[in-house]
Amino acid sequence: MIKLRSTFPVIVTLLVTACGGEREIPEPLREGLVYCSEGNPEGFNPQLVTSGTTVDATAAQLYDRLIDYDASSQQFVPALATRWQPLDEGTRYRFYLREDVSFHETDYFSPSRKFNADDVIFSFNRWLDPTSLYHNVGGGDYPFFTATGLDKLIKRVVKVDRYTVDIILRNADSSFLANLATDFAVILSAEYAGQLAVKETPEQLDTQPVGTGPYRFRRFRKDYFIRYNRNPDYWRQGPGIEHLVYSITPNANKRMLKLVTGECDVIPYPLVSKLQSLNQKQIKVQSEVSPNVGFWAFNTDKEPFNDPTVRQALAFAINRQAIIDAIYYGNAELADSILPPTSWAYTTTSQQYEYNPEKARQLLDQAGVEPGFKMTIWAMPVQRVYNPNARRMAELMQSDLAQVGVEARIVSYEWNSFRRRLSRGEHDTALVGWYADNADPDNFFRPLLSCAAVSTGSNRANWCHRGFDQILVNAISTTDTEKRKQLYHSAQQLLNQQLPLLPIAHSMRYQAQQDYVTGVELPPYGGISFRKAGKELQQ
Amino acid sequence: MTRFLINRLLYLVLAIWLLTIFSFCLNWLFPGDVITNMSGIRPLSPNYDMAFQLRGGDSNLFIQYSYYLQNLINFDWGVSLVSQKPVWAEATRTFMATFEILLLGLLLALLTGLPLGALAAARYKSPVDKVIISTAIGGYSIPVFWLAQLLILLFAVKIPWLPITGQIDPLYLIEPKTGSILIDVMLSQSEHKTDALYNALAHMVLPVVVLASLPSMLLLRMMRNTTVEVMQKPYVKAVRARGLSPFRVVTRHAVPNAIQGIIQQLTFIFGLMLANSVIVESIFNWPGIGSWLLKAIIERDYPVIQAALLILVATTLVVNFIFDIYRGWRFPIVREERYGTA
Repeated sequence: MIKLRSTFPVIVTLLVTACGGEREIPEPLREGLVYCSEGNPEGFNPQLVTSGTTVDATAAQLYDRLIDYDASSQQFVPALATRWQPLDEGTRYRFYLREDVSFHETDYFSPSRKFNADDVIFSFNRWLDPTSLYHNVGGGDYPFFTATGLDKLIKRVVKVDRYTVDIILRNADSSFLANLATDFAVILSAEYAGQLAVKETPEQLDTQPVGTGPYRFRRFRKDYFIRYNRNPDYWRQGPGIEHLVYSITPNANKRMLKLVTGECDVIPYPLVSKLQSLNQKQIKVQSEVSPNVGFWAFNTDKEPFNDPTVRQALAFAINRQAIIDAIYYGNAELADSILPPTSWAYTTTSQQYEYNPEKARQLLDQAGVEPGFKMTIWAMPVQRVYNPNARRMAELMQSDLAQVGVEARIVSYEWNSFRRRLSRGEHDTALVGWYADNADPDNFFRPLLSCAAVSTGSNRANWCHRGFDQILVNAISTTDTEKRKQLYHSAQQLLNQQLPLLPIAHSMRYQAQQDYVTGVELPPYGGISFRKAGKELQQ
Repeated sequence: MTRFLINRLLYLVLAIWLLTIFSFCLNWLFPGDVITNMSGIRPLSPNYDMAFQLRGGDSNLFIQYSYYLQNLINFDWGVSLVSQKPVWAEATRTFMATFEILLLGLLLALLTGLPLGALAAARYKSPVDKVIISTAIGGYSIPVFWLAQLLILLFAVKIPWLPITGQIDPLYLIEPKTGSILIDVMLSQSEHKTDALYNALAHMVLPVVVLASLPSMLLLRMMRNTTVEVMQKPYVKAVRARGLSPFRVVTRHAVPNAIQGIIQQLTFIFGLMLANSVIVESIFNWPGIGSWLLKAIIERDYPVIQAALLILVATTLVVNFIFDIYRGWRFPIVREERYGTA
């Protein structure tokens, strides 16, 4: 006993000196970067999802696209395709492919050939062609492509020669290239898919991914980490780090704490309220006015939310300015259209839904909704740039609604179950939002409010309006910007009057990181990219 | 002794058997398809028919139960509804992670609680005693989650010494094979084993200290009170009269006798630590069985909930059994209390 008592302080002293910081930083820590992501990815193939968490975790790290969008020059730039040209009055696009790109060599796959046209054809047919072998693997749902109508727009993808493909469209569409440059239009390996099909484990394609991107997949442990290694054969300038780890940290407070203690190098969605205290020390905060919108969707399949008067009444009942102040701490703009004011297609709407409980009650009476009416508000469990704290927002709305005699109950589930249940339409109303994938205004309308998006489940309002759909179709069939502008203006007026969803805020996007991290910029569109990531440690 | 052992063993088997029946019943009590709840395979999956066959989906309850028991014994515990990974493999990993901090926590509690308790007893009613015992009462009243936050604030944020989440810095690329991070580091092929080990130990400090705090204070008080009680006994007076120093009296005579009462309480302390480990693991993102269970409950992952409950309860039962046997073997009076014979 006495012996042990005397060794204990020695152990403690050892430990304290061990982590006391006198030693130099061990090699693995110098060569790697830890990104504390906010949740588990649903899979490792962005074709199958729209969730930002999954896109952040996979798209830019594992894969490349045919073309990229450069936000600073507002132009499309070459990626896997070196150049492209529209043919046949914009109904056929020809892409010339790079010839020096190889797929990832991992412990479960070694490629025998370089990237070529077959991979492009395979990747597109996966979501395009319902008869293709892999179409139904992983459920057969390709929400982004269905919602944007890309699966209807593209007629065929044809191999011209080994390094040339043609994409044939049903009609000319001005949003086509923008959609190809999104995080979802990734290129998979046809050779790997073929091997998996022989082994009869096709679902591995989405859980043990192979791509051409700057990182190779190594391991995923649910709730704890994703590990990536640098791809040494990357075809363009790759990252300056060897390892990239996603440390999964759903709790926003803990993420901030881990940044302060140095366990995270980069964190997404820092708590806006605590940003002030972060500005000290060695932590850098980046912000970006980003194309997003947080909104309150009414399930128009359910009574009484199918009645526009009820939806308008509920809109009048909510004090949105108070929400902006309390939830976004002023780091957001009150939204009066689903489009952010930075978009070229934005217009101010005629009817403003200012906070007015008397009017709300009056409209509810008019629609026959009795005081004491019960409804649910589904608040998403994760932080998003468009909604940093949906639960608290729901609480504020709960008390606003109580003022007009509506009893709201708040519902929340783990993120993946939450999304599944929303797709099944179990909600009365839901607090969710949208982050644009590309610069085209179409991206705000069709994925969120078209009839096609009802069946894919990304139309959280389950709202299908033929007239509205027609406006959207007309808007993408023309390349005349002035004409498109007019059409989107009328679309916004119609939305404003029908109100399938109440826009709440357009928020700033934030990211916080240690000052020695370089090359991790906030992308204005789409997911985070670590392609240029590096560390500048002072020894 | 043999009779005692057999008796205890029968009780253990009976208890575990009842536990399997309860866990079997859960499959019906959870909403949804029974076979899915058992196996984690959804009705639309191509593997569902096979799971249905393997678990006797169309036979009566008794046969289904026998299949269930068989699968349980063969460690075929199905797959997680969420991750579709085998439950048993993850269960052993998370259990080992929990067991690691539990064991170290218990060790720390014993190493601090017992000597301090004995010291307080030896200096009964002196200022030393008063300081120790008032600290113990204070420490005992601190809730675990609050202490954890306090220590994080102090030793991670204000004084940046210790990391706060996980078992090790993920950049060390240590694969969780057994789940116990110290063993995993030893087994790994990493070129930076020493650094990794230091890093793992540093990650362990806060969870272990927090986990040990409550039992340590409990043990301290128990040790002090029983020792003081023993010190009042006539034989202690006798050895004092023969001129033994108070220190030797405590270490040679009072402590061994006090230990017996303490061992009786160890099962209770272990149970308490197991319950607290759920909180500690969630705070420190320790990939143990408690945080695993908690996440499974949030995600309605029924096969995982079942497995975690089964393991947690079975562990408590087995630990109880072991302590019982140890006491029966070490202190014949325990056996006598039950049967009137040694």
